[in-house]
Amino acid sequence: METIIEIQDLEKVYQNGAIEVAALRGVNLNIHKGEFVAIMGASGSGKSTFMNILGCLDRPTRGLYCLEGLDINDYNDNELSFIRNQKVGFVFQSFNLIPRTSALKNVELPMVYGKVPASKRRKRAHELLEKVGLGERYNHMPNELSGGQKQRVAIARALTNQPPIILADEPTGNLDSRSSLEIMEIFSELNRDGNTVIIVTHEPDIAEWTHRVITFRDGLVIDDRLNQPNTTSE
Amino acid sequence: MLFFENVKLALVAIKSNKMRSFLTMLGIIIGVSSVIAITTIGNGANSVVSKEFDAFGKNNANIYPNSSEEDTSGVPSQFTLSDINALKERFGDELRYVALYMNGSSEIKIGRMTGQFNISGIADNYMRITGVDLLYGREFTTNDVENRRDYIMIPESAAKKFFGRDDVTGQALSININNKLREMTVIGVYRPRESIFSRLTSNTSYTVYVPYTLWEDRPASVLDIYINEGYDVQKVLDKIKSYLALIHKLAPGYYVSNSVESQQATMSQILGILSASIGAIAAISLLVGGIGIMNIMLVSVTERTREIGIRKSLGAKTGDILVQFLIEAMLVSALGGFLGAALGIGAASVGLSMAKVKVSIDPTVVLLAVGFSALVGMFFGLYPARKAAKLDPIEALRYE
Repeated sequence: METIIEIQDLEKVYQNGAIEVAALRGVNLNIHKGEFVAIMGASGSGKSTFMNILGCLDRPTRGLYCLEGLDINDYNDNELSFIRNQKVGFVFQSFNLIPRTSALKNVELPMVYGKVPASKRRKRAHELLEKVGLGERYNHMPNELSGGQKQRVAIARALTNQPPIILADEPTGNLDSRSSLEIMEIFSELNRDGNTVIIVTHEPDIAEWTHRVITFRDGLVIDDRLNQPNTTSE
Repeated sequence: MLFFENVKLALVAIKSNKMRSFLTMLGIIIGVSSVIAITTIGNGANSVVSKEFDAFGKNNANIYPNSSEEDTSGVPSQFTLSDINALKERFGDELRYVALYMNGSSEIKIGRMTGQFNISGIADNYMRITGVDLLYGREFTTNDVENRRDYIMIPESAAKKFFGRDDVTGQALSININNKLREMTVIGVYRPRESIFSRLTSNTSYTVYVPYTLWEDRPASVLDIYINEGYDVQKVLDKIKSYLALIHKLAPGYYVSNSVESQQATMSQILGILSASIGAIAAISLLVGGIGIMNIMLVSVTERTREIGIRKSLGAKTGDILVQFLIEAMLVSALGGFLGAALGIGAASVGLSMAKVKVSIDPTVVLLAVGFSALVGMFFGLYPARKAAKLDPIEALRYE
């Protein structure tokens, strides 16, 4: 299977005043195309730092991170912006939709930065909102949507530029159990369609949906196991 | 493409904070409107003044003795008819009109009507040269002037008041000229030129014209002169002055001149300096307006830190964020500039139309105001926009 993420001896050290804090202390792992991965760990385990690096929001202090064969260390900030735009689809815990901006415009946004022509943008955004079940509500503002609906808009937005990885940071953290279920079903479906989905979570229930669970503690991977998802739960 | 997206974004941001945007614009609006009002009024005043001067005739000038070199004997320096004849002979080509500057005033009583006449002595062709409308009759001929005919031209307002009708040519009236009561015949009725100054003077006295020769042998201290078209006014004046000094056996430079041309230049220079300096003071409020924009943009950047983080995570480059905030700042101030220009032109129009002056609006002024305001917005928006663009996406996403 094609390797999409290659990580070797990844370290991240934060300079906090005079004190150095090692958030990641030598992580090695590969993620293949089409995998459905959960990254687990308590807070302070380094999983958020790891996710920021995976999403090209941050750079490793040492070590290698290759995304689809591109060594992230070779690129400057503007090029990283382009890589984020084209190769990473973010879904956040707090949805992070742009306020006072319609669902449709929110979904179009990555395509605006990807310089996709306006008519194409609109068409694709409509398709994606249809796909996550919000075809009717494209004109609603974020404050007119429920948490589950907001997260579905965010997922549609993550998919716009057909990125090779979808990176979700606690995507169900702010949702009730029913919406959580719906969102996880969407992620499962996306994975069945061939998307590589990485979910950062501290909830074992959520990790159970995935095929592979990677556990962090103190900046190291302490467990990396395959999982038989129980999609019929509840 | 991205430009229009940014304009739309900026409009949304402005609309969602209407009051705040308006207050931010207010500084620019006040600055631009005052600059424009002042320059428009200044231009209006300048054009009025130059029209007044044009009406006198740009080639009009006076020659008189230099007061600082006042001759004690007095008389030899003053002008007489023989000077006029000498000048006509010597400068026949250059001179269009030359007369002794004579004036006086006289009480007038016809029937039960009384009034005051301000009497001006003029030579032939005066009305044609100065472009005054002669409604009835004719003006003085060379013959009338040389033969000291007791002819008079009066304004139509005086004709109406004293005779109850317009065409009063051939009517007689008596006035006092040079302490001599003269029986005058009206040979012309004229309509005075509309002028801003005429509105300032009272209507109880009337300007009437008589041949300047009616003052007989009284000398004059001022010569009234019109130079023909095609001659350099100043050069001809200089020649006339030295010639006059020569025939009066006085030092060259004894006579000085004052031409409408030079007065007009001085006047418009003064007006220009005046409106430029007031305009410069008003421009300071533009600076204040710009600082207001900077302030509010800094607030906006802080408020929207999270939005900036989201945009960056979705692939916005540093430059994209910079341009977004810069365009917002420019749009706010350009909008303010436009409103300010409208307000300034409005205020100037009201002011000028109250003074009954035709308002001329220069469309480039509006364009300049909007453009300059946008520039102010760009200058003062740059720092906040850079601050926004340089935000660390991780920090920005964490911002609550």
